Amino acid sequence: MGRRELRNLAESAAVLAVLAVLAFGLPAVNAAIPAAQAVATDRPYQLGDGVTVRPPDGAQLDVTRSGRGSTLFLLGGVRYLLVVAPFTGRLEDVAAQLRQKITANRGYQVTGSENPTRTDQGVTGRQGGYTSPGRNGRYAVFLHAGVAVEVTIAGADLDLRSALPGLTVSVASIEFPGPP
Amino acid sequence: MSAHRSAVTVRPTPAWVRAHHSVVVPAFWLLVAVLAVAGWEVAGMLRTGADAYPVATASAIVLFTAYAVPFTLVARSLDYFEREPAHLLAAAFGWGGLVATATSVRADAAAHDLLAKLVSPDFAATWGPAVTGPTIEEPVKVLGVVVIALVARTQINSVVDGFVYGAFVGLGFQVVEDVMYAVNAVALAGRGDRIGPVVAVFLLRGFLGGLWSHTLFSALAGSGVAYWVLHPGRRGLGLFAVSLAGAWGFHALWNSPLLADGFGYGTPGVLAALLLKGAPALAVIALLIRSAGRREAWYYLRQLVGDPKVATVRELSALATGGTRLAARRFAYARGGRKLAYCVKQLQRAQARLALELSRGLPDAAEHRAEVLAIRQWLRAYGHPDAYAPGSATTTGWVWAGGAVAAGILAVLVAAAIRGLGGG
Repeated sequence: MGRRELRNLAESAAVLAVLAVLAFGLPAVNAAIPAAQAVATDRPYQLGDGVTVRPPDGAQLDVTRSGRGSTLFLLGGVRYLLVVAPFTGRLEDVAAQLRQKITANRGYQVTGSENPTRTDQGVTGRQGGYTSPGRNGRYAVFLHAGVAVEVTIAGADLDLRSALPGLTVSVASIEFPGPP
Repeated sequence: MSAHRSAVTVRPTPAWVRAHHSVVVPAFWLLVAVLAVAGWEVAGMLRTGADAYPVATASAIVLFTAYAVPFTLVARSLDYFEREPAHLLAAAFGWGGLVATATSVRADAAAHDLLAKLVSPDFAATWGPAVTGPTIEEPVKVLGVVVIALVARTQINSVVDGFVYGAFVGLGFQVVEDVMYAVNAVALAGRGDRIGPVVAVFLLRGFLGGLWSHTLFSALAGSGVAYWVLHPGRRGLGLFAVSLAGAWGFHALWNSPLLADGFGYGTPGVLAALLLKGAPALAVIALLIRSAGRREAWYYLRQLVGDPKVATVRELSALATGGTRLAARRFAYARGGRKLAYCVKQLQRAQARLALELSRGLPDAAEHRAEVLAIRQWLRAYGHPDAYAPGSATTTGWVWAGGAVAAGILAVLVAAAIRGLGGG
């Protein structure tokens, strides 16, 4: 191999190294830093659009999946996701939209019937359950004054069973701005 | 322009260069390997979308592929004299669409998460795209032009070539990224396999944001690579760094949340804000390519000066830019219809080929000269001996002004359409 080819080889290796750093190095550094951070559970947490929730005891905030109306709490192996967004339709439409998002994932199925529910503030909603490979889930939707809240809770059966009482209290603590 | 300056600005491909020479350099095999690996990765991403939303994914691919056609034609028209080999342009497009996309998908997500962890989730959500997007994507894309230079350094003849390769890298990235955005929009809409969100993304990212997007940013950075190839040393490296910083800055400005509320004036305000954020990039890069294009054109056209049988003085001026070439063909069309316009087009191509062959000192020059003279005879028989358009410089100005007004009207119509589709 001549000098010119050796130089070309070195320059090619440098290009490959930059690609490797970006494609594998950066994700590795990211993985080494924990995403879950402590969150105060003794006061309401701002979800966006003036909506608040009281996180369940022991919950941590996944900072990488939170922001712009989306908030993900982690409770052991259970994921507790709340999404707040303006919505112009009816409560049934929000529920249908969330069911569609859930079942769009391969292997996810909504199970059983959907039931009415209510927050401590008095805002009515609908809730149901779903299943996915290795995990079970619950969902709920609320709509008040043009703002919708979509709640999804997912985890392995045992984890979910022990966390569910605290999560149920937390979901009921969702509070919209203004009177119900 | 002095002969010395021209000689530095343009370096024609030597006559001995053959395509298969690239195969023996390690960079070629790097290019093949990363294209294959990244192609597999991107195909996997698209397959996931196609499984869940087959109609929407297919529609997005068709729409954005069609969208790439006018960009390709414009980039090719800039590259009029020494046209870049199709396989290198395809490699540049592939680098953007496959390698840059696959790398950026991983790195962007990691960088966004790091911002959320190290600064705050709100900062990552608001300013993340403005910080991570250009910081990850611009270097990855410009590496595509660097690899093209490593594979076929002799094909980088001028700043225009770097601009063209950069534009193709950016176009590949833009097309694949937009397809992914469209499929994500379908998933987020949560209304099943519908093409409404695809059309909204097509109008939003294709028209309102497409003119000053990745194609333009990468073209700017690519021109810096070409400058460095032509001027190895600190000056070349410095200008490369400036061009990459320019691409970074324009990309960051475009992705930033600044003026996102449109000054509080609703849709007209948002449109004005989009123009304010995007137009500087378009204007700066258009002026740069115009200047570089003229320099390259006159380097080649100097070969034809003093031989009025081959090219008159007015024809030389008409050949210098895409606008004046088009004006000459339109003038011929007005005088003698499609056949005369086609004849002028053939003459322009033959003159450009002859200029190129003369600059490279190739033996085919005599053949091209004979071709030019044959077309010239034809034009004389048509009573159109001088293939130029009177006042074409003024006309070109009006074409730019008309284009700007038409673009403004189109932007308003597109915004109205997006609102109609529920995307705004």
